[in-house]
Amino acid sequence: MTTLAAPPTSGSLGRTVRSEWIKVASIRSTWWTTLAMIVLGAGFTTIISGVVAGDIASGKSGDSPGEYITQGLIFSQISAVVIGALVVTSEYGTGLIRATLAATPVRSRVLAAKAIVLSGFLFVVGTVTAFLGYFGGNAFFSNKGIGISLGDEHILRSMFGAGLYMAGLGLLAAAVGLLVRHTAAAISIVLALVFIIGQVVSLIPGTFGEWVMKLMPGNAGPGIVVPVSFGDNMLSPWTGFAVFVGEIALLSLVGFALFQKRDA
Amino acid sequence: MIRAQGLTKTYDGKVAVNGIDFTVEPGRVTGFLGPNGAGKSTTMRMILGLDAPTKGTVSVNGHRYAASPAPLREVGALLEAHAVHPGRSARNHLRWLAASNGIPTTRVGEVLELVGLDSVAAQRAGRFSLGMGQRLGIAAALIGDPPVVMLDEPVNGLDPEGVRWVRSLARQLADDGKTVFVSSHLMSEMALMADHLIVIGRGAILADSPIQEFMAEHASAYVRVKAPQTTDVEALLVGRGLDVTRTDDELRVQGLDAPAIGELIGSHGFLLHELTLVRSSLEDAFMELTADSVEYHARTEVAA
Repeated sequence: MTTLAAPPTSGSLGRTVRSEWIKVASIRSTWWTTLAMIVLGAGFTTIISGVVAGDIASGKSGDSPGEYITQGLIFSQISAVVIGALVVTSEYGTGLIRATLAATPVRSRVLAAKAIVLSGFLFVVGTVTAFLGYFGGNAFFSNKGIGISLGDEHILRSMFGAGLYMAGLGLLAAAVGLLVRHTAAAISIVLALVFIIGQVVSLIPGTFGEWVMKLMPGNAGPGIVVPVSFGDNMLSPWTGFAVFVGEIALLSLVGFALFQKRDA
Repeated sequence: MIRAQGLTKTYDGKVAVNGIDFTVEPGRVTGFLGPNGAGKSTTMRMILGLDAPTKGTVSVNGHRYAASPAPLREVGALLEAHAVHPGRSARNHLRWLAASNGIPTTRVGEVLELVGLDSVAAQRAGRFSLGMGQRLGIAAALIGDPPVVMLDEPVNGLDPEGVRWVRSLARQLADDGKTVFVSSHLMSEMALMADHLIVIGRGAILADSPIQEFMAEHASAYVRVKAPQTTDVEALLVGRGLDVTRTDDELRVQGLDAPAIGELIGSHGFLLHELTLVRSSLEDAFMELTADSVEYHARTEVAA
């Protein structure tokens, strides 16, 4: 029988982070979703690059390889949203939130730990996915003599930017999860926001519509992921990302306020 | 030790717990008894700081639960069975709990063995039966070897062997000097497990006493008398200062034992059809005590 030593009084956040990491890592769905994120992201980038390489090389399409080298990550967004939402909503679905808060009654610490684990994990997986996609896609481009080097302008930014954007998307989904406390609802809302609403608002006429579209999280955020932008009606990469981070922060604050106040 | 003072909780204007005061002392098993919806779980959630009291305070070991740097080492709680992720193994469930409070991982194996789940530790909790889920919940409650253990309806879903195990576990924890607070809606279970009883109904404390005292006070006995000349016999018994209640052709008599009542009736030449000593069980006592505080009654009475 282990005699427990006196409880440590410092390093509390570290303990909570470790605990949250064990939670994330001990669920199979985390790893299936992560696998989907990597395979779909890197796989589609590779396939798309393979398809367009010939036309780009012959000058027929007028595009550049940089527009395509992170294309597959569009699909990875879904996984990031799922993982992010589940970090919060799976606890409400199962009643686990009570065990979590009984173990760590300081609610701000629970949320901070979740945010650290989630963003750290998605940053790594997102970055790895981007690099794998780069190596896969660039094999086709190099083959046609139009390969891009990691040292080329914006390439490294877009690789690590992919990690940053995925981390942000996960946090966004987690924040929405705090608001709605329901897995399917949180995932649908964020996916709709990123994939559908972000496109639909472009139908709003005039400058107003243009700005609304630019500011939508799914449009502002991923600017840092693409080395060469498709269109020119988007915010510049880092400005867009700053807007994205601001939106996440705002939602997180509302979620945190509710989390503090509500009974578990 | 757990101490509640004026503890109150209202949900949307509906009072769930109404200004209750009680103390749960170490070294004994305190039963927390009440019908469903009486406020037991709400009270337990407030003890753990999961629900904020509308009014009043509750402290554990002299301070607020949330003020503890490692609360699982102070209070272990089984709240609801299956407050676990169905996709996570029993071992991993205990691992994250241990990590959150800086409890060494070796403790995980110990509590798994203690509750008898060591052979299925790697299985996903979603495959567990209700009883196995309860055992996992109890393992989680004991992970920090806390001086206060709180179990909400621990025998729910357990087979008879499991029920006996919970009973002896509660006893052993109390004998080790721990504070043991066990809720149930089953009087019979409490009669076997608890040393002290706190009865709650509609959010108010109805009784707070040692179990022996509670039994003496509430589990009454009477003698059932059936005689053809019911009215005359009733008059006779009442005339002797006995406590008599009449229902149809039946008299319920208190204040004298059965042989004496029989002799008394016989000596006056009345015929006697039935003379029975009826002991009301603790269950009856509990039902009577909480009759007005049950939230939902079945509409039809079961024929007695």
